[in-house]
Amino acid sequence: MVDFKVLEQNLPRIDARDKVTGRAVYASDVYLPGMLMCKLLPSTHAHARIISIDTSKAEVLQGVRSVITGQDFPDIRFGSGALKDRYIMARDEVFYIGEPVAAVAADDEITAQEAIDLIEIVYEELPAVIDPITALTADAPPVHSDVSDFEGYGFSVGNSNVCTLLDADRGDVDQAFNSADRVFEETYRSQGINQGFLEPMACVTNVEANGRLTVWASTQGPYQIRTQLAGVLDIPLSSIKVIPMELGGGFGAKLRLAFEAFPALLSFKTGRPVKLINSREEVFTLNGPRLPVTNYLKTGVNNDGTIVAREAYSIFDVGAYLGAGPNSGVGHGLGAYNIPNFRLRSFGVYTNKIYVGSYRASGVADMTFAVESHTDSIARQMGIDPWEFRMQNAIKEGDVSVSGARMPKNGLLETLQAIKDNFGLPKKSAEDRGVGIAVCEWRSGSGPSTASISVNEDGTVSLLTGSVDISGSDTSLAAIAAETLGLTLDEVIVAKRDTDLAPFTGPSGGSRIVYSQGTAVHRAAETVRERLYELAAERLGVQPDALSLAGGRIFIEDDPNQGLSFKQLGALSVNSRGGPIIGTSSLSNMPYDPVFSTQAAEVIVDRATGQVKVTRYMQAQDVGVAINPMSVEGQLEGGVVQGIGRALTEDMQLDAETGAVRTSSLSTYLMPLAVDLPEIENVLVKVPSSDGPFGARAVAEPPGFGPPAAIANAIFDAVGVRVRELPLSGERVLSALQGESSEIRWDLDILKKSEGM
Amino acid sequence: MKKPLQLTVNGEPKQILVEPYSSLLDMLRDEFRLTGTKKGCDEGDCGACTIFLNGKSVTSCMVLAHSAHDSEVITIEGLGKSDGMHPVQQAFVDYGGLQCGFCIPGLIMSATAFLNEHPDPTEEEVRFGIGGNLCRCTGYNKVVEAVLAAARDMNSKR
Repeated sequence: MVDFKVLEQNLPRIDARDKVTGRAVYASDVYLPGMLMCKLLPSTHAHARIISIDTSKAEVLQGVRSVITGQDFPDIRFGSGALKDRYIMARDEVFYIGEPVAAVAADDEITAQEAIDLIEIVYEELPAVIDPITALTADAPPVHSDVSDFEGYGFSVGNSNVCTLLDADRGDVDQAFNSADRVFEETYRSQGINQGFLEPMACVTNVEANGRLTVWASTQGPYQIRTQLAGVLDIPLSSIKVIPMELGGGFGAKLRLAFEAFPALLSFKTGRPVKLINSREEVFTLNGPRLPVTNYLKTGVNNDGTIVAREAYSIFDVGAYLGAGPNSGVGHGLGAYNIPNFRLRSFGVYTNKIYVGSYRASGVADMTFAVESHTDSIARQMGIDPWEFRMQNAIKEGDVSVSGARMPKNGLLETLQAIKDNFGLPKKSAEDRGVGIAVCEWRSGSGPSTASISVNEDGTVSLLTGSVDISGSDTSLAAIAAETLGLTLDEVIVAKRDTDLAPFTGPSGGSRIVYSQGTAVHRAAETVRERLYELAAERLGVQPDALSLAGGRIFIEDDPNQGLSFKQLGALSVNSRGGPIIGTSSLSNMPYDPVFSTQAAEVIVDRATGQVKVTRYMQAQDVGVAINPMSVEGQLEGGVVQGIGRALTEDMQLDAETGAVRTSSLSTYLMPLAVDLPEIENVLVKVPSSDGPFGARAVAEPPGFGPPAAIANAIFDAVGVRVRELPLSGERVLSALQGESSEIRWDLDILKKSEGM
Repeated sequence: MKKPLQLTVNGEPKQILVEPYSSLLDMLRDEFRLTGTKKGCDEGDCGACTIFLNGKSVTSCMVLAHSAHDSEVITIEGLGKSDGMHPVQQAFVDYGGLQCGFCIPGLIMSATAFLNEHPDPTEEEVRFGIGGNLCRCTGYNKVVEAVLAAARDMNSKR
């Protein structure tokens, strides 16, 4: 074990005092002189042509400063995913209920809302399709009639509602199924999910005297907003400055351009600052959530318990636009197992519903529910212990992963063992009480990452990165710099950034900050350390390799009294031969680095109502090295609780006829409260990553994947019924207990035809 | 039409003209710029706007500003003493009971009000005590630990 000075110790977050005293400034807390308030008009039809928009009554209302419609924006399509398939505001057609059709800037929010209510629109209804499986049929109305014109649309499957098709194949799957001793087929379905961030989307825009646009944003991706905003407004990227404010939760929902373009255009029209804050209803109805997913799995297994083949078909309902990539379905169809023959297909399907957005590793939680329930189901049908079955088939170092890459060193087996040792499986101790496990797999996130560290005259350092702080990532990055430089955490100053100031970096998402951005910080700090060594060597009259660093001092290793403190070096550096000291680092992609977690749930099922209560929950995750254990645990606990919400209560209900979101408040969309939960127990497994900073792996995504399957498997253990659709509500459990089949049947041939098979 | 209103906010007497439809939350934020009190839903569901009104915790989005006439309001900005933070705030820092922080002012106000009436709670009681406050980041473990630690700290000083 490395003897860390800063890492592996509980560090209070550097922003904690600001947050507990109410001083942290979020986008909605920005007030500027002369600031107007913006409200949006959502469409009321699932699919309709806009015949006319009459804004005249709204425009003359006292206090209204500007009204805009889609025609006020340049005729340019943009995209959040792989396709440029949407306009920022509807132009001639609306494709879902809630699509923004007009926006108003007024002196206050109430006047803006009054003006919105005065806008008159005449629609001509067009045929809509709400259900994704219906959308796949040959005579389904097309959601978009001009899909082949979308930039990025590179294939044709004969049904224009299929917007993406992702696949992965290996081996002779059909032969493997024919020769397998047993073949199992099941379909699982998961619900629509709202990301549930507490801070509604908010931004303030202003056009500065020099003509540049400033955006105070609630975002995970300031550079992504800048690029997309430049695109939809057709202005130079360099004329926009995005200032990411304190982020009140995002979980993927705030990775991209959201509503910033509306106040931005209104600022250009009025010359005044404009603020937009979503209501909670708008959070639910205007901003891309996750939509229901159907996952079909077929698995061939030999009598000795070896899995030999897997076929998976996923249908990702993307809604009206591909707001986020649905690709995770393909890469996770094997779960954490070594399966030599597979055929994996993932269909993204347009429907006339709110467009899909990202949420904490989009699609993987859905697939993990399917794969890990299926794994349990197979094991039990074959009379094999579910834990042993997982151990037997677990992918190991050197095996070929789904992408074709060799599996590097990882902690999968250790996490399985940790759950067995610490949770005490099996632990069925009472009637209607059961335990279930699930394995989650993900990878540390990659992508462009940059960091700059400069030495101040007093020997402290200033760290600048473009990454927005999520869940304490600034503290973790500062800790990496401090550890590298032998400083304390408070000797690393983390600069508040904006897109003018900090170099480009990927968004704060996909579990990439510590692994990728942390590596950039680590390397920048190493450069600073080298430069400090050079300066000290010059001043002490020795070679740099004769020096050592500890306690904020660089000294001669053989003569520790001879040395210079960071404070002295910082002061000396200003007028040194090499000039003030700065270290920078920039990298594109990091190597594939798997992250595994095994989770266990204990539940009690009430046979009279079907209600499920989680009485114990434990997760063992391979974190590599815990940069800040308190923060790592916080991520793990928060992720699991989101997963418990997904498993039991959260259910974004969409109207079957119109696609409208029916659960548009926090009293109808039920996220877990403290009273609903047991204490979440964590085991930090530490198999260091070969590439992450100090061996650290990503943390944040996997915790949320496990609970639906772990709880479903525990329900089966408790009362012998398998529920295949989320949430695992009392109604569904009760109906299964009453003997109703929970099998989901559907016509797979639709997909095979779509694929031309 | 705006009407006059007087109240005490964080110990300071205030007189102000406010619209009759304005919520206490909107007045605190928009008029007094006490932006530590957060608007997460404006429907009384999330608890992020929790403040003390005459010593009791309330969701300020559900209170009309004018109904707080002649009342005493304490917000997160007024919770700690000028020489330091309230023990509940300190415990949230020390135990990592926060992530994005948006729900935290409301959670701290709820937890403080709860501890004022239940100075020596069990873990389960704490979970009920903060049962009206939604947090999406933390999973509540460390929040509950922080509230229990604050209770111990406050009791040791009694």
